Amino acid sequence: MGKPYAHPESLVSADWVQEHLKDPKVRIVESDEDLLLYDVGHVPGAVRVDWQGDLQDQIIRDYINSEKFSELCSRNGIVSDTTVVFYGDKSNWWACYAFWAFTLFGHKHCKVMNGGRKLWIDQGRPLSTEPSRYPATRYVAAGGDEASIRVFREEVLAHAKAGKPLIDVRSPKEFTGELLHMEEYPQEGSLRGGHIPGARNVPWARAVNEDGTFKSTEELIAIYQDELGLKPADDIVAYCRIGERSSLTWFVLTYLLGFSHVRNYDGSWTEWGNLVRAPIARGA
Amino acid sequence: MPAALDEIIAELSESDRQERIDLLIDFAKNLPPLPEHLAKLKDASHRVEECQSPVYLFAEIVGDRVALYADAPIEAPTVRGFVSLLIEGLSGATVADVLKVPGDLVERCALQEVLGMLRVRGLSGVLRRIKGEVTRAAMAQAENLSLPEQKRFSNQPAAEE
Repeated sequence: MGKPYAHPESLVSADWVQEHLKDPKVRIVESDEDLLLYDVGHVPGAVRVDWQGDLQDQIIRDYINSEKFSELCSRNGIVSDTTVVFYGDKSNWWACYAFWAFTLFGHKHCKVMNGGRKLWIDQGRPLSTEPSRYPATRYVAAGGDEASIRVFREEVLAHAKAGKPLIDVRSPKEFTGELLHMEEYPQEGSLRGGHIPGARNVPWARAVNEDGTFKSTEELIAIYQDELGLKPADDIVAYCRIGERSSLTWFVLTYLLGFSHVRNYDGSWTEWGNLVRAPIARGA
Repeated sequence: MPAALDEIIAELSESDRQERIDLLIDFAKNLPPLPEHLAKLKDASHRVEECQSPVYLFAEIVGDRVALYADAPIEAPTVRGFVSLLIEGLSGATVADVLKVPGDLVERCALQEVLGMLRVRGLSGVLRRIKGEVTRAAMAQAENLSLPEQKRFSNQPAAEE
Protein backbone atom coordinates (compact mmCIF):
# COMPACT_ATOMS: atom_id res chain seq x y z
CA MET A 1 0.00 0.00 0.00
CA GLY A 2 1.47 3.33 -1.04
CA LYS A 3 1.00 6.72 0.48
CA PRO A 4 -2.70 7.59 0.83
CA TYR A 5 -4.20 10.49 -1.06
CA ALA A 6 -4.49 13.76 0.84
CA HIS A 7 -8.29 13.53 0.92
CA PRO A 8 -8.96 9.84 0.37
CA GLU A 9 -12.69 10.29 1.09
CA SER A 10 -13.03 12.21 -2.19
CA LEU A 11 -12.36 9.19 -4.33
CA VAL A 12 -14.34 5.96 -4.17
CA SER A 13 -13.90 2.67 -5.96
CA ALA A 14 -16.39 0.96 -8.22
CA ASP A 15 -16.79 -1.62 -5.43
CA TRP A 16 -17.81 1.11 -3.01
CA VAL A 17 -20.36 2.43 -5.50
CA GLN A 18 -21.76 -1.04 -6.12
CA GLU A 19 -22.21 -1.48 -2.37
CA HIS A 20 -24.01 1.87 -2.11
CA LEU A 21 -26.34 1.59 -5.09
CA LYS A 22 -29.37 1.56 -2.83
CA ASP A 23 -28.01 3.88 -0.16
CA PRO A 24 -30.53 6.72 0.16
CA LYS A 25 -27.79 9.07 1.35
CA VAL A 26 -25.85 8.55 -1.86
CA ARG A 27 -26.71 9.81 -5.33
CA ILE A 28 -24.66 8.54 -8.25
CA VAL A 29 -24.31 11.06 -11.09
CA GLU A 30 -23.14 10.24 -14.60
CA SER A 31 -21.63 13.11 -16.57
CA ASP A 32 -20.31 12.42 -20.06
CA GLU A 33 -19.12 14.24 -23.11
CA ASP A 34 -21.63 12.27 -25.17
CA LEU A 35 -24.96 12.85 -23.52
CA LEU A 36 -26.49 9.69 -24.96
CA LEU A 37 -24.05 7.34 -23.24
CA TYR A 38 -26.28 7.46 -20.18
CA ASP A 39 -29.13 6.05 -22.28
CA VAL A 40 -26.92 3.31 -23.67
CA GLY A 41 -26.41 2.10 -20.11
CA HIS A 42 -25.56 3.61 -16.73
CA VAL A 43 -24.84 2.55 -13.18
CA PRO A 44 -28.22 1.39 -11.83
CA GLY A 45 -29.86 4.26 -9.99
CA ALA A 46 -27.52 6.89 -11.42
CA VAL A 47 -28.94 10.16 -12.69
CA ARG A 48 -27.57 12.17 -15.60
CA VAL A 49 -26.12 15.61 -15.25
CA ASP A 50 -25.41 17.14 -18.62
CA TRP A 51 -22.38 19.43 -18.43
CA GLN A 52 -23.87 21.66 -21.08
CA GLY A 53 -27.64 21.42 -20.83
CA ASP A 54 -27.79 21.22 -17.03
CA LEU A 55 -24.77 23.09 -15.72
CA GLN A 56 -24.29 25.90 -18.19
CA ASP A 57 -26.45 28.93 -18.76
CA GLN A 58 -27.95 28.64 -22.22
CA ILE A 59 -27.55 32.32 -23.11
CA ILE A 60 -24.50 33.73 -21.35
CA ARG A 61 -21.23 31.84 -21.24
CA ASP A 62 -21.40 31.01 -17.57
CA TYR A 63 -22.73 28.40 -15.21
CA ILE A 64 -26.34 28.31 -14.18
CA ASN A 65 -27.38 30.44 -11.20
CA SER A 66 -28.00 29.04 -7.74
CA GLU A 67 -31.79 28.80 -8.25
CA LYS A 68 -31.25 26.62 -11.32
CA PHE A 69 -28.69 24.60 -9.43
CA SER A 70 -31.18 24.09 -6.61
CA GLU A 71 -33.77 22.92 -9.14
CA LEU A 72 -31.27 20.52 -10.69
CA CYS A 73 -30.53 18.98 -7.30
CA SER A 74 -34.19 18.94 -6.29
CA ARG A 75 -35.35 17.06 -9.37
CA ASN A 76 -32.58 14.52 -8.92
CA GLY A 77 -33.54 13.85 -5.34
CA ILE A 78 -30.45 15.44 -3.83
CA VAL A 79 -30.50 17.14 -0.43
CA SER A 80 -27.72 19.18 1.11
CA ASP A 81 -26.18 16.24 2.94
CA THR A 82 -26.48 13.76 0.06
CA THR A 83 -23.15 12.30 -0.93
CA VAL A 84 -22.94 12.85 -4.67
CA VAL A 85 -20.64 10.47 -6.51
CA PHE A 86 -19.63 11.53 -10.01
CA TYR A 87 -18.43 9.29 -12.78
CA GLY A 88 -18.29 9.52 -16.54
CA ASP A 89 -16.46 8.92 -19.80
CA LYS A 90 -13.01 10.15 -20.82
CA SER A 91 -11.30 9.14 -17.56
CA ASN A 92 -13.79 11.24 -15.60
CA TRP A 93 -13.18 14.64 -17.24
CA TRP A 94 -16.84 15.53 -17.11
CA ALA A 95 -17.28 13.92 -13.74
CA CYS A 96 -14.56 16.22 -12.38
CA TYR A 97 -16.13 19.13 -14.23
CA ALA A 98 -19.50 18.42 -12.59
CA PHE A 99 -17.76 17.91 -9.22
CA TRP A 100 -16.12 21.32 -9.66
CA ALA A 101 -19.45 22.93 -10.63
CA PHE A 102 -21.21 21.36 -7.61
CA THR A 103 -18.43 22.74 -5.46
CA LEU A 104 -18.99 26.19 -7.02
CA PHE A 105 -22.52 26.10 -5.66
CA GLY A 106 -21.39 24.91 -2.28
CA HIS A 107 -22.42 21.24 -2.30
CA LYS A 108 -20.20 19.78 0.39
CA HIS A 109 -20.25 16.04 -0.12
CA CYS A 110 -18.82 15.20 -3.51
CA LYS A 111 -16.82 12.20 -4.59
CA VAL A 112 -15.45 10.79 -7.84
CA MET A 113 -15.72 7.12 -8.76
CA ASN A 114 -12.23 6.00 -9.69
CA GLY A 115 -11.95 4.64 -13.24
CA GLY A 116 -15.24 6.18 -14.35
CA ARG A 117 -17.68 4.69 -16.78
CA LYS A 118 -15.21 2.64 -18.73
CA LEU A 119 -13.77 0.72 -15.82
CA TRP A 120 -17.27 0.00 -14.49
CA ILE A 121 -18.23 -1.50 -17.84
CA ASP A 122 -14.90 -3.27 -18.37
CA GLN A 123 -15.34 -4.99 -15.02
CA GLY A 124 -18.72 -6.30 -16.14
CA ARG A 125 -20.67 -4.49 -13.46
CA PRO A 126 -24.44 -4.03 -13.76
CA LEU A 127 -25.88 -1.43 -16.11
CA SER A 128 -29.36 -0.05 -16.51
CA THR A 129 -31.00 1.70 -19.43
CA GLU A 130 -33.96 2.90 -17.35
CA PRO A 131 -33.76 6.57 -16.42
CA SER A 132 -33.59 6.82 -12.62
CA ARG A 133 -36.23 8.93 -10.94
CA TYR A 134 -36.36 10.14 -7.36
CA PRO A 135 -38.94 12.10 -5.43
CA ALA A 136 -38.20 15.80 -5.71
CA THR A 137 -36.49 17.42 -2.74
CA ARG A 138 -36.32 21.00 -1.56
CA TYR A 139 -32.69 21.80 -2.16
CA VAL A 140 -31.35 25.23 -1.36
CA ALA A 141 -27.89 25.93 -2.75
CA ALA A 142 -25.55 26.80 0.09
CA GLY A 143 -23.51 29.10 -2.09
CA GLY A 144 -19.91 28.18 -2.61
CA ASP A 145 -16.72 30.05 -2.43
CA GLU A 146 -16.35 30.73 -6.13
CA ALA A 147 -13.29 32.88 -5.67
CA SER A 148 -11.33 29.99 -4.20
CA ILE A 149 -11.77 27.59 -7.14
CA ARG A 150 -12.59 29.73 -10.17
CA VAL A 151 -10.57 32.46 -11.83
CA PHE A 152 -11.36 34.98 -14.56
CA ARG A 153 -9.21 36.43 -17.34
CA GLU A 154 -8.07 39.65 -15.67
CA GLU A 155 -6.80 37.73 -12.67
CA VAL A 156 -5.13 35.20 -14.95
CA LEU A 157 -3.31 38.00 -16.72
CA ALA A 158 -2.11 39.41 -13.40
CA HIS A 159 -1.21 35.89 -12.26
CA ALA A 160 0.86 35.31 -15.40
CA LYS A 161 2.56 38.70 -15.13
CA ALA A 162 3.45 37.99 -11.51
CA GLY A 163 5.08 34.75 -12.65
CA LYS A 164 2.88 32.58 -10.45
CA PRO A 165 2.38 28.91 -11.37
CA LEU A 166 0.14 28.49 -14.37
CA ILE A 167 -0.46 25.07 -15.80
CA ASP A 168 -1.80 24.30 -19.22
CA VAL A 169 -3.20 20.77 -19.23
CA ARG A 170 -3.93 20.52 -22.96
CA SER A 171 -2.11 18.22 -25.36
CA PRO A 172 1.42 19.29 -26.39
CA LYS A 173 0.32 20.37 -29.88
CA GLU A 174 -2.38 22.63 -28.48
CA PHE A 175 0.19 24.11 -26.12
CA THR A 176 2.67 24.91 -28.88
CA GLY A 177 -0.06 26.43 -31.02
CA GLU A 178 0.11 23.83 -33.76
CA LEU A 179 -3.49 22.80 -33.05
CA LEU A 180 -6.49 24.64 -31.64
CA HIS A 181 -8.05 21.52 -30.16
CA MET A 182 -7.02 17.97 -29.39
CA GLU A 183 -6.08 15.85 -32.34
CA GLU A 184 -9.12 14.45 -34.13
CA TYR A 185 -11.45 17.03 -32.61
CA PRO A 186 -12.83 19.84 -34.77
CA GLN A 187 -10.23 22.63 -34.81
CA GLU A 188 -12.57 25.39 -33.87
CA GLY A 189 -13.45 27.76 -31.09
CA SER A 190 -10.26 29.81 -30.96
CA LEU A 191 -8.80 32.27 -33.44
CA ARG A 192 -5.24 32.01 -32.21
CA GLY A 193 -3.12 29.08 -31.08
CA GLY A 194 -0.49 28.90 -28.38
CA HIS A 195 -0.49 29.25 -24.61
CA ILE A 196 -0.57 31.85 -21.88
CA PRO A 197 3.00 33.15 -21.41
CA GLY A 198 4.68 31.45 -18.50
CA ALA A 199 2.37 28.42 -18.50
CA ARG A 200 3.88 24.97 -18.13
CA ASN A 201 2.41 22.15 -20.15
CA VAL A 202 1.29 19.11 -18.13
CA PRO A 203 -1.28 17.21 -20.16
CA TRP A 204 -4.15 16.12 -17.91
CA ALA A 205 -3.76 12.49 -18.98
CA ARG A 206 -0.49 12.19 -17.11
CA ALA A 207 -2.52 11.97 -13.91
CA VAL A 208 -4.43 8.86 -14.95
CA ASN A 209 -3.64 5.25 -15.71
CA GLU A 210 -4.63 3.36 -18.85
CA ASP A 211 -7.77 2.05 -17.13
CA GLY A 212 -8.93 5.56 -16.24
CA THR A 213 -8.03 5.33 -12.54
CA PHE A 214 -5.86 8.00 -10.97
CA LYS A 215 -2.17 7.43 -10.51
CA SER A 216 -0.78 6.78 -7.05
CA THR A 217 0.20 9.56 -4.68
CA GLU A 218 3.90 8.86 -5.30
CA GLU A 219 3.46 9.03 -9.06
CA LEU A 220 1.47 12.26 -8.81
CA ILE A 221 4.04 13.83 -6.50
CA ALA A 222 6.75 12.88 -9.00
CA ILE A 223 4.92 14.75 -11.77
CA TYR A 224 3.52 17.81 -10.07
CA GLN A 225 5.94 18.41 -7.23
CA ASP A 226 9.28 16.91 -8.27
CA GLU A 227 9.12 17.56 -11.99
CA LEU A 228 7.14 20.80 -12.09
CA GLY A 229 8.28 22.10 -8.76
CA LEU A 230 4.77 22.97 -7.56
CA LYS A 231 4.30 23.24 -3.81
CA PRO A 232 1.13 22.39 -1.90
CA ALA A 233 0.65 25.98 -0.71
CA ASP A 234 1.25 27.58 -4.14
CA ASP A 235 -1.35 29.78 -5.76
CA ILE A 236 -1.96 27.75 -8.93
CA VAL A 237 -4.14 28.36 -11.98
CA ALA A 238 -5.00 25.49 -14.32
CA TYR A 239 -6.62 25.83 -17.72
CA CYS A 240 -7.30 23.88 -20.88
CA ARG A 241 -9.70 24.67 -23.72
CA ILE A 242 -13.03 25.07 -21.97
CA GLY A 243 -12.13 24.12 -18.42
CA GLU A 244 -13.14 20.46 -18.43
CA ARG A 245 -9.74 18.78 -18.60
CA SER A 246 -8.37 21.31 -16.11
CA SER A 247 -11.18 20.34 -13.71
CA LEU A 248 -9.58 16.92 -13.60
CA THR A 249 -6.19 18.43 -12.83
CA TRP A 250 -7.84 20.70 -10.24
CA PHE A 251 -9.33 17.60 -8.60
CA VAL A 252 -5.99 15.80 -8.62
CA LEU A 253 -4.05 18.68 -7.11
CA THR A 254 -6.69 19.65 -4.57
CA TYR A 255 -8.04 16.32 -3.36
CA LEU A 256 -5.41 13.75 -4.19
CA LEU A 257 -2.32 15.83 -3.43
CA GLY A 258 -3.89 18.24 -0.94
CA PHE A 259 -2.89 21.51 -2.59
CA SER A 260 -4.68 24.36 -0.89
CA HIS A 261 -5.06 27.02 -3.55
CA VAL A 262 -5.78 25.69 -7.03
CA ARG A 263 -8.18 27.56 -9.25
CA ASN A 264 -9.65 26.55 -12.58
CA TYR A 265 -9.71 29.12 -15.38
CA ASP A 266 -12.84 27.87 -17.14
CA GLY A 267 -12.66 30.58 -19.81
CA SER A 268 -9.52 28.71 -20.83
CA TRP A 269 -8.14 28.76 -24.35
CA THR A 270 -11.48 29.38 -26.05
CA GLU A 271 -11.50 32.71 -24.22
CA TRP A 272 -7.80 33.56 -24.16
CA GLY A 273 -7.17 32.56 -27.78
CA ASN A 274 -9.88 34.99 -28.88
CA LEU A 275 -9.05 37.97 -26.66
CA VAL A 276 -7.79 41.05 -28.45
CA ARG A 277 -4.23 41.85 -27.37
CA ALA A 278 -4.00 39.02 -24.87
CA PRO A 279 -0.36 37.95 -24.74
CA ILE A 280 0.30 34.56 -26.31
CA ALA A 281 3.41 32.40 -26.40
CA ARG A 282 4.03 29.88 -29.13
CA GLY A 283 6.15 26.78 -29.32
CA ALA A 284 7.33 24.47 -26.57
CA MET B 1 -35.62 16.24 -49.77
CA PRO B 2 -36.20 12.48 -49.76
CA ALA B 3 -39.54 11.67 -48.12
CA ALA B 4 -37.97 9.27 -45.61
CA LEU B 5 -35.61 11.96 -44.35
CA ASP B 6 -38.37 14.52 -44.32
CA GLU B 7 -40.39 12.29 -42.02
CA ILE B 8 -37.47 11.81 -39.65
CA ILE B 9 -36.85 15.55 -39.48
CA ALA B 10 -40.51 16.21 -38.76
CA GLU B 11 -40.57 13.62 -35.99
CA LEU B 12 -37.41 14.94 -34.36
CA SER B 13 -38.29 18.59 -34.59
CA GLU B 14 -41.73 17.99 -33.07
CA SER B 15 -40.35 16.01 -30.14
CA ASP B 16 -39.19 17.31 -26.81
CA ARG B 17 -35.62 16.97 -25.66
CA GLN B 18 -35.94 13.56 -23.99
CA GLU B 19 -37.92 12.15 -26.93
CA ARG B 20 -35.19 13.35 -29.27
CA ILE B 21 -32.59 11.62 -27.16
CA ASP B 22 -34.69 8.43 -27.20
CA LEU B 23 -35.10 8.61 -30.97
CA LEU B 24 -31.38 9.09 -31.48
CA ILE B 25 -30.67 6.13 -29.21
CA ASP B 26 -33.07 4.00 -31.26
CA PHE B 27 -31.30 5.05 -34.43
CA ALA B 28 -27.94 4.28 -32.83
CA LYS B 29 -29.12 0.80 -31.88
CA ASN B 30 -30.54 0.11 -35.31
CA LEU B 31 -27.57 0.99 -37.50
CA PRO B 32 -27.12 -2.09 -39.71
CA PRO B 33 -23.63 -3.63 -39.74
CA LEU B 34 -21.43 -3.01 -42.76
CA PRO B 35 -21.74 -5.56 -45.56
CA GLU B 36 -18.74 -7.88 -45.60
CA HIS B 37 -17.09 -6.42 -48.72
CA LEU B 38 -17.07 -2.96 -47.11
CA ALA B 39 -16.05 -4.02 -43.62
CA LYS B 40 -12.62 -4.76 -45.09
CA LEU B 41 -12.33 -1.20 -46.39
CA LYS B 42 -12.49 0.60 -43.06
CA ASP B 43 -9.43 2.77 -43.58
CA ALA B 44 -8.45 6.40 -43.35
CA SER B 45 -9.80 7.17 -46.81
CA HIS B 46 -13.34 6.27 -45.74
CA ARG B 47 -13.18 7.89 -42.34
CA VAL B 48 -15.06 11.09 -41.59
CA GLU B 49 -12.30 13.43 -40.51
CA GLU B 50 -14.54 15.89 -38.70
CA CYS B 51 -15.67 13.23 -36.25
CA GLN B 52 -13.58 12.53 -33.22
CA SER B 53 -14.82 8.94 -33.08
CA PRO B 54 -14.04 6.53 -35.90
CA VAL B 55 -16.92 6.89 -38.36
CA TYR B 56 -16.70 5.23 -41.79
CA LEU B 57 -18.99 5.94 -44.70
CA PHE B 58 -19.54 4.19 -48.00
CA ALA B 59 -21.81 5.03 -50.90
CA GLU B 60 -22.81 2.83 -53.81
CA ILE B 61 -25.13 3.53 -56.68
CA VAL B 62 -27.49 0.78 -57.67
CA GLY B 63 -29.29 1.70 -60.85
CA ASP B 64 -30.31 5.29 -60.19
CA ARG B 65 -30.55 4.91 -56.45
CA VAL B 66 -28.09 5.55 -53.65
CA ALA B 67 -27.15 2.85 -51.17
CA LEU B 68 -25.35 4.07 -48.06
CA TYR B 69 -23.45 2.10 -45.45
CA ALA B 70 -21.71 3.29 -42.33
CA ASP B 71 -19.96 2.17 -39.22
CA ALA B 72 -19.66 4.12 -35.96
CA PRO B 73 -18.95 2.85 -32.46
CA ILE B 74 -21.79 2.39 -29.99
CA GLU B 75 -19.52 4.13 -27.44
CA ALA B 76 -20.22 7.28 -29.46
CA PRO B 77 -24.01 6.98 -29.47
CA THR B 78 -24.80 10.51 -30.61
CA VAL B 79 -22.76 10.36 -33.76
CA ARG B 80 -23.79 6.76 -34.39
CA GLY B 81 -27.44 7.77 -34.03
CA PHE B 82 -27.06 10.66 -36.45
CA VAL B 83 -25.20 8.52 -38.99
CA SER B 84 -27.91 5.88 -38.71
CA LEU B 85 -30.60 8.52 -39.19
CA LEU B 86 -28.92 9.68 -42.40
CA ILE B 87 -28.49 6.15 -43.70
CA GLU B 88 -32.16 5.44 -43.10
CA GLY B 89 -33.31 8.78 -44.45
CA LEU B 90 -31.16 8.75 -47.57
CA SER B 91 -30.83 5.13 -48.67
CA GLY B 92 -32.83 4.59 -51.82
CA ALA B 93 -32.86 8.29 -52.70
CA THR B 94 -31.60 9.56 -56.03
CA VAL B 95 -28.18 11.18 -56.29
CA ALA B 96 -29.81 14.55 -56.97
CA ASP B 97 -31.95 14.23 -53.83
CA VAL B 98 -28.96 13.45 -51.64
CA LEU B 99 -27.04 16.42 -52.98
CA LYS B 100 -29.99 18.68 -52.30
CA VAL B 101 -30.21 17.87 -48.58
CA PRO B 102 -29.77 21.21 -46.79
CA GLY B 103 -26.49 21.74 -44.97
CA ASP B 104 -28.27 22.83 -41.80
CA LEU B 105 -29.83 19.41 -41.30
CA VAL B 106 -28.59 19.19 -37.71
CA GLU B 107 -30.48 22.36 -36.83
CA ARG B 108 -33.56 21.25 -38.77
CA CYS B 109 -33.67 18.11 -36.67
CA ALA B 110 -33.41 20.39 -33.61
CA LEU B 111 -30.43 18.39 -32.46
CA GLN B 112 -28.11 21.24 -31.58
CA GLU B 113 -29.35 21.45 -28.00
CA VAL B 114 -28.83 17.74 -27.50
CA LEU B 115 -25.42 17.89 -29.08
CA GLY B 116 -24.11 21.14 -27.82
CA MET B 117 -22.57 23.70 -30.12
CA LEU B 118 -19.23 21.97 -30.06
CA ARG B 119 -20.38 18.88 -31.84
CA VAL B 120 -22.61 20.24 -34.56
CA ARG B 121 -19.68 20.60 -36.89
CA GLY B 122 -18.70 16.95 -36.61
CA LEU B 123 -22.18 15.88 -37.60
CA SER B 124 -22.40 18.39 -40.42
CA GLY B 125 -19.18 16.77 -41.60
CA VAL B 126 -20.98 13.44 -41.85
CA LEU B 127 -23.51 14.92 -44.25
CA ARG B 128 -20.82 16.62 -46.34
CA ARG B 129 -18.96 13.35 -46.48
CA ILE B 130 -22.05 11.49 -47.65
CA LYS B 131 -22.54 14.02 -50.44
CA GLY B 132 -18.90 13.67 -51.45
CA GLU B 133 -19.06 9.88 -51.48
CA VAL B 134 -22.31 9.89 -53.44
CA THR B 135 -20.85 12.30 -56.00
CA ARG B 136 -17.82 10.10 -56.42
CA ALA B 137 -19.88 6.95 -56.75
CA ALA B 138 -22.09 8.65 -59.34
CA MET B 139 -19.07 9.79 -61.34
CA ALA B 140 -17.53 6.34 -61.20
CA GLN B 141 -20.81 4.90 -62.43
CA ALA B 142 -20.97 7.39 -65.29
CA GLU B 143 -17.41 6.56 -66.34
CA ASN B 144 -18.10 2.90 -66.00
CA LEU B 145 -21.14 3.09 -68.26
CA SER B 146 -19.15 4.87 -70.95
CA LEU B 147 -16.63 2.02 -71.14
CA PRO B 148 -17.07 -1.04 -73.36
CA GLU B 149 -18.97 -3.82 -71.61
CA GLN B 150 -15.98 -6.05 -70.75
CA LYS B 151 -14.06 -3.22 -69.07
CA ARG B 152 -16.82 -2.15 -66.75
CA PHE B 153 -16.10 -2.25 -63.07
CA SER B 154 -18.34 -3.92 -60.65
CA ASN B 155 -20.60 -1.79 -58.49
CA GLN B 156 -17.99 -0.95 -55.89
CA PRO B 157 -17.51 2.34 -54.11
CA ALA B 158 -15.19 4.73 -55.83
CA ALA B 159 -11.61 3.73 -55.20
CA GLU B 160 -9.49 6.27 -53.39
CA GLU B 161 -6.79 7.87 -55.47
